[in-house]
Parts: sequence; C-alpha cells; structure tokens
Amino acid sequence: MTEASILPGLAGAADCSNENDSSCSDISNKSLRIAENAKKKRQAEAPLLLALKYFSQVKTGTPRNGNDELYGYLEQVEREALAQGLAPEAVSIMLEFAMSLRMTSAISSRVLRFLIPASVVPQEAVVRGFSWLCMQKLSQPTQVLFLRWVLSMFDMIDSKDNLRAIYGFIFSFVIDETMCPFICHLLYLLTLKEHVKPFRVRKLLDIQGRMGKQPFLMQLLALYKVFCPEMVTLTMPSKMKAGFKNHNSTWKVALAALRKRNISKETHSMELTLGVRQHPHRRKRKFHHLLVPALTPMMESSRSNSRKGVCLQQLSSFAELLDNLNSIELPAQMGSLLSSALALHYLDCVQDESAFLRLNFWLGHALHEEFLFGPVDGSSESMGEAAHFLSMLVSTQHFLQEGFSSTEGFLYKFLTMWDGFLHRPQILELLSDIPLVPSSYIKDVLFEPLMQLYFTSSVFFKCSVIECLTSMLRKWLTWHSVCAQEEGLDISLNNRSTMSLSLSGFLDSVLKLVQFVGRLTSVGLQLERGHTLLLHHALGFYETVSDMFLKYSLPLFVMLPPGVFFPALLATDPVSIDRLGYIMFRYRQNLTSAKEQQKKQRELSLHINRSVYKEFNTYLVAMVAHLWNSKSFSPRTGIEVSEALLERTKVADYSKSFDLIHHPAFLNYAIDFHQQCWPERTDVDLNSIKVGKYWEWYVEFLFTQGFDGLRDFIKVNINQASARQSIGQPLSQPTQPSQPTAVSSPSS
Amino acid sequence: MDVRSAVSTPVTQYTTHRRSKSYGRTFDATSRFCYTPGQLTITRIQTSRETAKARKITDKVDPEQVALLVKKEWKLSYVTPLYQFRHTKLKVYSRHLSAFIMAEKQQGMAVEVGLEAGFKVTFSTVLGMAETKDDAETVFIQIHNKPVFASEGDAPKVVWSGWLTCINGDPEYLQALPPEFVSLPLFCSSGAESLTFLVKSWFERTFDCSFGSMGLDPTDLHWLAALWTGCHSENNIRSLKLVWTLPSQPPLDVSLTVNAQDAWDLWDKVRQQDSTDNSISIEEVKRFITGIESHFFRHFKVYLSAGVLKKVSTALGSVHLDGKIKITCSDYMTTVLTLLTECAILKMPILPGC
Repeated sequence: MTEASILPGLAGAADCSNENDSSCSDISNKSLRIAENAKKKRQAEAPLLLALKYFSQVKTGTPRNGNDELYGYLEQVEREALAQGLAPEAVSIMLEFAMSLRMTSAISSRVLRFLIPASVVPQEAVVRGFSWLCMQKLSQPTQVLFLRWVLSMFDMIDSKDNLRAIYGFIFSFVIDETMCPFICHLLYLLTLKEHVKPFRVRKLLDIQGRMGKQPFLMQLLALYKVFCPEMVTLTMPSKMKAGFKNHNSTWKVALAALRKRNISKETHSMELTLGVRQHPHRRKRKFHHLLVPALTPMMESSRSNSRKGVCLQQLSSFAELLDNLNSIELPAQMGSLLSSALALHYLDCVQDESAFLRLNFWLGHALHEEFLFGPVDGSSESMGEAAHFLSMLVSTQHFLQEGFSSTEGFLYKFLTMWDGFLHRPQILELLSDIPLVPSSYIKDVLFEPLMQLYFTSSVFFKCSVIECLTSMLRKWLTWHSVCAQEEGLDISLNNRSTMSLSLSGFLDSVLKLVQFVGRLTSVGLQLERGHTLLLHHALGFYETVSDMFLKYSLPLFVMLPPGVFFPALLATDPVSIDRLGYIMFRYRQNLTSAKEQQKKQRELSLHINRSVYKEFNTYLVAMVAHLWNSKSFSPRTGIEVSEALLERTKVADYSKSFDLIHHPAFLNYAIDFHQQCWPERTDVDLNSIKVGKYWEWYVEFLFTQGFDGLRDFIKVNINQASARQSIGQPLSQPTQPSQPTAVSSPSS
Repeated sequence: MDVRSAVSTPVTQYTTHRRSKSYGRTFDATSRFCYTPGQLTITRIQTSRETAKARKITDKVDPEQVALLVKKEWKLSYVTPLYQFRHTKLKVYSRHLSAFIMAEKQQGMAVEVGLEAGFKVTFSTVLGMAETKDDAETVFIQIHNKPVFASEGDAPKVVWSGWLTCINGDPEYLQALPPEFVSLPLFCSSGAESLTFLVKSWFERTFDCSFGSMGLDPTDLHWLAALWTGCHSENNIRSLKLVWTLPSQPPLDVSLTVNAQDAWDLWDKVRQQDSTDNSISIEEVKRFITGIESHFFRHFKVYLSAGVLKKVSTALGSVHLDGKIKITCSDYMTTVLTLLTECAILKMPILPGC
C-alpha cells in the first residue's frame, strides 16, 4: 500500500518532488526554476503535508539521534494536532507510523499522546493498529497506551463492523494481565450476541479464577449473561458497581478544547429562513431552561380528542403549511414553535387561548429562571447563550409584530434590578415591543426604573433609551392606526360616540409617554451640555410626535419642550436646525389640518388645547426672529436676555448673530456663498448677502445643500413675496401662524 | 345610522379572532385596561395567616399514604400548570413514564447491565389532601427498581418518590386558569438527582409545564419557626433549633437551640399583645425572631440579624433555606403545605387572564 494513495494532497506533493528529481537531467534550467518555485509555494502552503509524507515514507532504522528533520516534522504535526486536530488520513498515517515502531518506543508513544482526530478516526487505521499489536513487538506501556487511545477515541471511530470482525483477535489479548482491563472494556463495547461463545466464557471464568473477581471481568461476564443467560451460570451480585474506569486522561484536555473550538466555529444565523432552525451545540448545562424544546407531537395519552392531525415537523415548506393549515396539530410543548420559522408562521394563525397560555408559561419561566431567580453565571458561554436566546426572542417578536405578555411581565420585574448594561441591545429591543401600558401605572412599572437608569448612565445609554422609547411610541401608534381601521373603530372626528373610553385611555398613555420623554430629553440635554447625538435622538422622537395626527390619525398634539427646541435652534450643526425646521413644518401641517376638520364639522369632537397653538406660535416667532429677521434676544422671541448682559459679551451686533448668515451652524455656508458671489473680494462682508436679490439667492443656495426641512419650514411660514418688497429686511411677520390662534378661540 | 351597532359588532368579532398571543393583553382596546398593577406581582404576599391547628389528617387521608409523605426530606420545586393532565389517566402515565425512563437510561448503550434496569413507576392520587374546591388532588409518584441479577425473592426497591400538590392555593389564581390546566404548583422529590431530572423532563414534554427549583425566603423560615413554636402547647416540639449564616470571612454558621418551653413563652408574650386568636400577623413573627436575636446578642454580642436564617428544625419538622423540607408530624402538614403552595404560586411567571 502506498501512502500517497491515501492522501490526495500528499500525492501531489510527492509528484512534485519526483518531477523535480527527473527534471535535473533533461529539462531546461528555466523549467527547473519554475518547478522549484512551485515547490516552494506548495511547501509554504502545506508544511503539514510534507511532514506527513515524511512519516509515511520514513524507513525502519532511520537514526533518531541528531535527526533534526524528524523532530522538526514531529513538532509540526504535534502543533497542528493540538490546535486543529488531525484529518482522518493524517490520523491513519501517524498511527501507522507509531504502531509499526519504525523509530523507538519513545517516539511512538509521543505520537500516540498527541494523536487527536479533528473529526473521525478511520476504522481501518485501528484494525491495522491491532495487526501491529499482534506482532508483539511493542513495549508493554505502548501497548496499553494504544488500547487507552482506542477506548478514548472509540466514539470517533467511523464504523465498527470490521473491528467486530476481528473480535477473536482482540479477545486473544485478555490473557495478558496488563492489557486485560482495557481489552475487557473494548470487548464490552464491541460485543454482540453472536460473539458470546462457550469457549470465551470458559476463558473468562478461567482468568477470573486466576485474577479474582475483577470488576472489568465481571462487567464483561454480566454482559455475556444478558445475551446468553444459559451459558453463564455464574451468579452475579445484585449490587454491582456499574461502568468501567475512564482511560482518557491523556487526551481529555485536548479533546475538550477541540470540541469547544468546533462549537464556537458554528455561527448562529438569526435569519428567519424557512425550515427548522438548528439547535446550537450546547454544553450540558445544569440549568436547561434556555433550551427551546424540540417539536414533538402530543402524546396519545394527553390528546384531548382522537382526531389525528398533521404534525408540524412533518411539514417542510410554506406551501405545505398552507395546504394543511386547518388540520395541523399543536405540538406537545408550545415553546417548540419558536424553534423554526415555519412554526412561527403557524403560530401567527393559532387561535387557541390555552396554547398561548402554555407558550407564555414556558417563556416566562425561561426568562424568570435565567435572569431573575437563577444564580448569576458570568461565564462568557452562558452570557452568549442568554444573548442568543434574547436575540431569538427579539426576532420572533419582530416577526409576529407583537410582544408576548410573559416578556412584558418579565421586563417590568427585570427593569427594577437591571444595571443598564447586561444584554442592553436585546433588553431595549424587547422593551420597545411592550404593548400599550395603561396610564394609571405606566409611571411605576416603566418610567421610574427607566429614569433611574437614564440619569445615572452615560450619554450613549441615554441615546439608546430615547431610541427605544421612540420605537415604542411608533409601535403604539401603528397598532392604534391599524386597530382603528380593522376594528372599524372610527376615531376620525365626525363620530363622537366612538370616542370611547378606550381611545381616551390610549391618548392618556401616549400623552404620558410623550411628556416623559420630554422630561428625559430636556434634562438629559442639560446634563450632557446639549450633546449632539442626544439632541438628534430627541429630534427623532419629536419627528414622530409632530406627525401623530396626519400619519397615525391620533388627535393628540404635544409640542416639544423648550429644553429641546432652543438647544436645537442654537445648535452648532446645521442638521439639527434642519430637523427642527422639518418638525415645525409637520406640526404646522397637522395643526392646520386639524383646524380645518374642526371647522368643517362644527362639532366639538376634537378638542385641541389652546395652549398648543400658543406654544407653537411662540416657537414659530422665535425661529423666524432668529433665523430670518435677525432679531435674536429681542422681546417675545423666547429668549430674553437683559441688554446689559448682552453688551458685556462684546458682540457688536448680537441681534443678528443667529440669522441664517451669522448662525454658527450656517456661517461656513455664508462664507462659501460670499466667495462664489464675489470671488475677487478679499474682505468678507457677510452683511452684503442680506441685500436685495442676494438674500433670495443665498436661501436658494442653502436649499440646494440638502436642507429640505428648512426649505419646507420657510416655504410654508414665510411669505417670500413680502420679502422681496422689503429689501434688506427679509420679511417681518410670519403670516400664517397667527391664524390658528385666532381660530381656536371661538371653538372653545 | 345606528352607529353603535355598526361599530361594536366588528369589535367583538375581532376580539375573539385575535385575542391570542399576548394572553391577557389583546388588541381589544377595552379589555387592555383591565390589567391592574396588582397583577404584576401576581399574588399578594401574605401578611397574616391562621395559626397552625392540629388536625388529624389521617382521618381524611389514607394513613398509609400519609406515612409516605412524612419523615422524609423533600427537595422542593415549583411547577407551572399542567396542560391536559387527568387524574383518571394515572395508569397510562405510569406506563409511559416507566418506558420513558428506560429509554433515556439506555441511550447510547447497547445493553444496560447492572443496577439500573427494570424501572417501574406508579402514580397514585392522595385523596383528601385538598383543602378547598379549587385545589387539585395531590398526586404521588414512586419509582421502583429491580436489578437484573437480583435473586428471585428480592422485592423491587423504591429508588425515587415525589409528589405534586396544591393546598389552599390562591383561589383567584386557580380560577383564572382555563379548565384544560391543572395546577399542582408544589413538587417535592426525594431520590437520585438523575431520576428527578428524568421525571421532570417527562412532565415537561407531556404536560407542557416547566419546573424550577424553589429556594425559600428567610421570611418563610421565620413564619415556620413561629407557626411550629405556636404548636408547643398542643404538641411538644422538644426544642427550636435555628441556624444562621453570618456574612463574615469565612462565613460563620451559628446554630442556636432554644428550649421548647422558653420559645413558647416568648411566643406567648409576643402574641398576648394582639387579641385576635386565630390569625398571626407578620409583625408578631418579626417580634418573635427579633426577640430571639436580641437575646443572643445580650449573651454573645453578635447581631444575628446581620446574617441569614438558614435552617429551622423542631420535633414537628425542619426546613432549609435551599428549599428542603421534612415534615415529621402529619397533624400540622396542612399549615406547612399551605405556606409552601403560596411560595410556589409566587414563583409563577405569569398570571393568566384578568
């Protein structure tokens, strides 16, 4: 047998060197060089292959002392074996090398000690090993080491029929006293009924007579007795110590490390693909509550009726699911529905209340046990497992577009003890899935614990909390608008009778949430000195709030607090001001549209607090005064600072300092514009932009820079025609904003 | 146009159709708000309970079965409600659980040899244990084993036993469960850990329930210490043994044995301040424990209140903080089991319905 045929990769390496040898005589130098280069390249790629080639070809009697080549290769293979494990072919080669005793016993036993298979051990290699054992050349310790190796790797041997075929040969070693315990163990693992023969029983009894009642002999005899009670007349003690000793101490650590590496290689995809999700390979945990149970059909005994349906695990495609939708039987454990995407589709159509109760009991139990009751297990493995479970839950809830009530109950309890750090992304995701919380206790269960965490954590945590609450608000609003449509619950304003308690309850909760976020963002921005990232998250929240009436048909208007408005207006980045412009634009659209509906129907179904209009107008005036009219800090613009104080700032023309030209956020645009208008001018006089057509052009210029929010704001709120007339003083009065105020009074 | 009917009909249809996964929290706007904060804690924590009164439980329950429940230390667990459990199918369950244990034990083994072969499981109902109409009857499980090579005369040995019970369970909680569920929230087991695991797995797979180990609260131990001491006038408790663990480095265990009469005298003093006869309040219990602790401080200058009460034992029974209990005197079983049922229900992850 040539080893090259066992190992294809090695064969390549062998070919290469042969070619190299022959090339010396008849191939030109050039091709020689190419071959040499190729060889070098391959060498670098596969030093292991070369090492293995060496071991497959090395001759008996090769000197050991001073053989650097041997030790180099030996180390190479050892390193690889301990790091990655050896491929089946490599295991064959190395076992063959060790057992054939081509070097000394010391080398052989060293090889056996690091012989860690990566996947499987080829059965033929073991059979060959036994044939070498029969040669009786090996030293006794090496023989034992080999047997211990076989026992330790037994589960990794790819099949056992050929080993069973040489049962007789293996049995013959029982007479050897040192090998006997190991041989008995191996035979115990291999024995089939046909192996139990009277002569073997006699032999074992004979040995027992000599060695005494050794547990390994008793175990083997007991097994024989189970197969053929008539052959073994020996009475077995009713109390017998079960099992054999473990002999895997030499390889235990390496095997465990290998297993661990293999597990971590498996990446868990969270994608909701069709088909059954594979269970990640898990270590046997003492607590198994995070294990999603497998899909199994109900037991006959607990089935409520005899009607036999289709089990979910028999289905493999969405089409099959649809065909059998009405005859599908619920599984024994409802939790198992979370194990596959197909089952989730089914879960979405389940209407059985008990089924959901079962699911919630299971899920609630898992969450409680892992995060509330259980001892804290900080190992990275269990943390990973917990994170994986939570991510699974998050994606499941997103898929169903609804949170489970057990998750909700769990979160309320968990929030009070959460450090704001453990599994933060998942916990906040789950939190945003919470369905509407009644306003009567929203404070206790949600706001209080969140507030404590919010004010004691970093700005980044603050941002993620605001993001989470924004997402929560959006989900509530979406639920409301979908539900209003589907239920025919017409909350549009012409129908006062349907403005039932539920709607007012819903409004209450939403109002509470918006007010809560208002407090969080105002104080948070103060604490964090107007941190830009936090400001953007706050503005993101108010983009949703400003559009509640038109986008989600919810008759609720809440203005953003001054603590957010002014930091945004005076921010140093133009994007904040642009977003603020967009928000003000949306507020205006919503308020105007509500006003129109109100006017049309003459009914008092929609009550908008006058203070909302007042607030809106104040903001509008402030914004126009600052950005457009160059009247910063003047009375009735929201920010009033005493003149004495302003003079002390030594800013010459402070009333102009926040208009679209001098505002720190737009200053570089103004300079840019100035340069484009008067490329030859060296002294920059920004005030010249304010004159005549230049102002209009400048505003147009800003719009081309992508400030769409600002454009919407200006287009709607500022009468451009009047701007053209009054040169140098771009528009005085915001024309429309006063209207809503005027209209609101008679209706109340 | 009759607005009301046009609107309300689809609402109700929609409700029944959709009332689903977020059990108790549905898309139906009106029912969403019946959720009250009290339900978040599921059941209230008791601040008072009845005094332990001796009751010959053997009058109501088969004495042989009672004998199986006492004088053994039980490991406590809680169980979520069992789906489709029927007391009439216990024979079938016995067969299935036996088969399940055999199958699991033989996994990965060609043939099992030795001790663990031939398991036989028996389920039985302990009739008469239930106190109220909402309590489901207690179920007792025994696992017998007969070794393969046992001699003819050897009787199968009991290797494991366990029971599921519910005594004076919170009626609000029990009534909220749909009829497909049977709630036996307290699970007591005694025997090899591996068999406990298998029994739990079988229950989880068959009745879609979940088990969790039930550690007790020091307050529960305080209650039991007080309740047992209160029995001394009727039934000698011999002595009241208490073990504390103090958070020192290394942890220090303090065990204190109080003379039964002294303990009862203290309890009586504490009790006299309240006139109500049949109920004990948590304040009385706290006064009792504080009394013992301050007595200890006077002698040894060690604040036991800084530590945790870990174990209580009297002649009537003993209880350990990790959730182990031993009931020696069956007369007071109901009181103890009522307290433990309450603890188990407190562990339930969700409350059904509203």
